[in-house]
Amino acid sequence: MGISSSLIEKQAIAEIEKCNEFTAEFGLALSRSDAAELVETRNIALKGNGRIEFGSGAIQKIIREFCDSPYISMHNYAETIHELTEMFYYYKNETLDLMSDDDLIKFMKSSFDGKCQGSLELLSGRELANMARNLRYGYPPDYSEDSMPDEEDEDVEY
Amino acid sequence: MLNIEKKHIIDNNKLSGEQYFASILQEAYSNGLLCDSDMENIQLQCIQLLAYKCERYSGGESSSIRVEAAESIMKSNLYTIGLYLKSLPDVDLAVNEIKKASVSEMYQKGRELINVRLHSAKYIYNLVQKNKLTTPNYSYNSTINEGIESFFKAYDPDYEAHETPASIDYQLCNTVTNLIGIEFILKYLENLFLENEFCRDFAAEDIHHLLYGYDKGYKDLLINIFEQVLTAAVGCSLANRSVVELDISAEEIQHLHYELSEYDDCSLYLKVHEAAVKILEELNVDSLSLQRYIERSLPRIISNITNAIKNNTLNKTFVSPVNPGLEPRIRFVSGTKMHDEDYRKLIDELIICRHSSDKLALIKEKVKSFGDLEDLLFDAQLSEEETASVFDILGDVEIAALIRRHPFKTDMQAVDLSEGEMAVRLYLKNYIDRLPKGKQEEIFEKADMLID
Repeated sequence: MGISSSLIEKQAIAEIEKCNEFTAEFGLALSRSDAAELVETRNIALKGNGRIEFGSGAIQKIIREFCDSPYISMHNYAETIHELTEMFYYYKNETLDLMSDDDLIKFMKSSFDGKCQGSLELLSGRELANMARNLRYGYPPDYSEDSMPDEEDEDVEY
Repeated sequence: MLNIEKKHIIDNNKLSGEQYFASILQEAYSNGLLCDSDMENIQLQCIQLLAYKCERYSGGESSSIRVEAAESIMKSNLYTIGLYLKSLPDVDLAVNEIKKASVSEMYQKGRELINVRLHSAKYIYNLVQKNKLTTPNYSYNSTINEGIESFFKAYDPDYEAHETPASIDYQLCNTVTNLIGIEFILKYLENLFLENEFCRDFAAEDIHHLLYGYDKGYKDLLINIFEQVLTAAVGCSLANRSVVELDISAEEIQHLHYELSEYDDCSLYLKVHEAAVKILEELNVDSLSLQRYIERSLPRIISNITNAIKNNTLNKTFVSPVNPGLEPRIRFVSGTKMHDEDYRKLIDELIICRHSSDKLALIKEKVKSFGDLEDLLFDAQLSEEETASVFDILGDVEIAALIRRHPFKTDMQAVDLSEGEMAVRLYLKNYIDRLPKGKQEEIFEKADMLID
């Protein structure tokens, strides 16, 4: 099975390199070694989170979604994708697989560009953590206790 | 006539019933029927099938799944393929099929077979529900009514074909081993159907008396009814009694003990077999499958008899039936309660009263019914010594009735009880524990005889 797994990795690296075709217009590109490291990061994240993946995986989707972010430029591109990949697999587990890949990546992107203003720490430690907790407790992903009316307000109404 | 069996390169006994595909691959590889490249090709195809099934599992919404889920799907795939290979006439043909057909083709055929088996299992389950015995045994009833039904609701042939999501507490005489998933349920239901079929040759009442004779609390025991009935029938047959009533006396069992202890293992085996043949004749058992099932059950019964003879406990293997209706019973009538107002006055007086002797005198004088006494024990805030002296003035039957109605419960079990009630139960337990052993037994016997 060693031969086949190295073949799968080569294929994954090639697919990531292929993403350069459409990220070029945003001035972003990954070298072959960057792509290989990303595949390595993915493998470590999968193993660490007790998951298994077939096919090209989610990295391509992450690159496609995040390439037009105003907070990503060539100098932090590879590093950000590494972090986002780790985060992605971690929160697949934390959300109990209740969210599809596409929805999770979209949520990550809108939070990253919006509330977090490009901060990966806020994205992971606050937005994604809150969203995962909401899903686990049966609330909508964007539910927030701050949006609930205060008890005092309710008293006034009555 | 001797059975003529074709000689196979792979020994059928080495194959696992639960992981048939994996074991056949292993055996075929070690016997040189499959080479390294065959094995690699099969593994690669298994991974491809797994990838396809994982995608279907996540509905195409997730490119990754948890390792445990993937492992379960892989097991399910291998089980399904194994089910198909098992259906082939022999192992050689199975190996040929592995060489020729692709993994996904074999999976597809196995998946269709699961549907067929599932259909058969549902059919047999209906038959089992129809020939179900009338018995108070809890594990039997709950297994047939809810335990197996839950299997048909929860079984997932696509992703968890190897699982058996049923709650089966009732153990068969011939335990189903080496099978899982739908195969297990099918075999279990087939065996259960045959066991019921045999037991239905006897009156439900006779079976009840037999099992009551085995243990008064048999409704809560994890026993196999068929085994008890067949053993009793063998006992009757050995004692030259009519089998149908399952009635064998203690003297006859004693006599059997003397007779059977003379035999060696082989003679005992033949004797029990003869008895089984007589049973089949007397009951007119025509069904070949039931005859075979009884045949398969005999070694277990013979070993029980052999052990019982060695340990001088044959009266525990062959049981005399007991009719619970004929056992002595005590009906306890508690008498009319006093008026509420009088009761309230009495309680007030008792609470004010300073001396225990006065309280006791007051109770003796005023309380005339058991119901009032029960209430009073909870309400009058008596100390443990005072409660014990109240128990002293009661007869054994009253104490027995108190035990029946207020058995001791630990703190964990007694969450619903009031503080007063918990205290009375504890005082009662302490009081009983202080009594001599003989007295305790007398009271417990009386408690058993009480009718609710």
